[in-house]
Amino acid sequence: MTEQQDKISYLLDEFSDGAHCRSVLDEVESDVNLKYKMRRYQMIGEVIRHELPVHINTNFSANIMAQIDQIENAADLSGNRTSNKIEPGLNDSSLNNGRSIWTWSMMKPLAGMAVAASVAVLAVTLWQFSYLGNNSGKTSEQIVGVDQKRNDFLANVPVQANAVTVSSSVDSGLRWKINNNTPALQQKLNAYLVNHTEYSNSMQGLIPQARVAGFDAQK
Amino acid sequence: MGTNLLDAELVKRVQAGDKAAFDILVQKYQHKVVNLIARFVSDQTECYDIAQDAFIKAYRAIGNFRGDSQFYTWLYRIAANTAKNHLASRARKSSNYTVDVEDAEHFEGESRLKEYTTPENLLLSEEIERTVFQAIKDLPDDLKSAITLREIEGLSYEEIAEVMDCPIGTVRSRIFRARDAIDKELRPLLE
Repeated sequence: MTEQQDKISYLLDEFSDGAHCRSVLDEVESDVNLKYKMRRYQMIGEVIRHELPVHINTNFSANIMAQIDQIENAADLSGNRTSNKIEPGLNDSSLNNGRSIWTWSMMKPLAGMAVAASVAVLAVTLWQFSYLGNNSGKTSEQIVGVDQKRNDFLANVPVQANAVTVSSSVDSGLRWKINNNTPALQQKLNAYLVNHTEYSNSMQGLIPQARVAGFDAQK
Repeated sequence: MGTNLLDAELVKRVQAGDKAAFDILVQKYQHKVVNLIARFVSDQTECYDIAQDAFIKAYRAIGNFRGDSQFYTWLYRIAANTAKNHLASRARKSSNYTVDVEDAEHFEGESRLKEYTTPENLLLSEEIERTVFQAIKDLPDDLKSAITLREIEGLSYEEIAEVMDCPIGTVRSRIFRARDAIDKELRPLLE
């Protein structure tokens, strides 16, 4: 035992050669008493050099090893472990370890998913574009018919605007005709209605009608 | 010769999956790392928490350590960066986080505070220092000189042999006997 302790003392002073170092470490790892002995020898040096913290935690390394066991067990259960005992190369900003194979291996499926998602979005966008371009397969005659019906409907809706009676007159080229002979107002109202009926065809989601709840002739 | 040979061998073993080797590395560097972190963070509880994070990060990244730098340089860099990240994170949290007086009792930090910075731990540290220095004081002069030249002055065995005018084997023996004598006093405190 004394010989082993002497070897540990010598090893701590970093004067061992490779073979000596390996054989002593084998002994230390296999004998917990030698491990504690090595720890106390190290602590003696720390005390002499005044390197011992104000508070010491005697369970510090045991806590760390327990936590590492927990992490590895969790990784085993989730099947994320890629190597035998180590998970090298976490891409942490506190690690200055350069490029990591592990990181790439994790990123690879994510990159694949990103490409697949992009292709799907592109396909949907193209389909929508095609759908709008064809206008659901309707012929131009059908579209004109729908617009005509809508215009007819709008032309027949009576609108009350500040006691001004409004009626429609498609014959005159105007959608609406106002009875009190105010051409500017008539033109303004017609322009408003045309803008809300004629140009709504290309924009889905807009309701192609205008509702006039009140009308102020001064505006 | 042999400078950091121990670290290199331990790292190699950890990379081969030997966790016990990492335990030895933790024991070897834990107080140095805690002292380094204490330069950034004054609270001892936080120091140990950050040190723990740093060692776990080191373990998880050790597969990438190629030995271009010394292990302790690499480890200290991880510890320093972990401490800086902790400070930055704490600054962000403190800007929008408060603890009510009523809730302070149940505050998470309290349990950790109990774990590390107890009067017992403080007392233990003081007791260890007192015991070690008393043991050194009680050593024969030749052992006292040998251990002091080695641990404080950092002299090599050859240099100590020259200073003490004795063979290197004698220096090695004196240093070991000094450590062993001190350990006999220290051991009961840590059991």
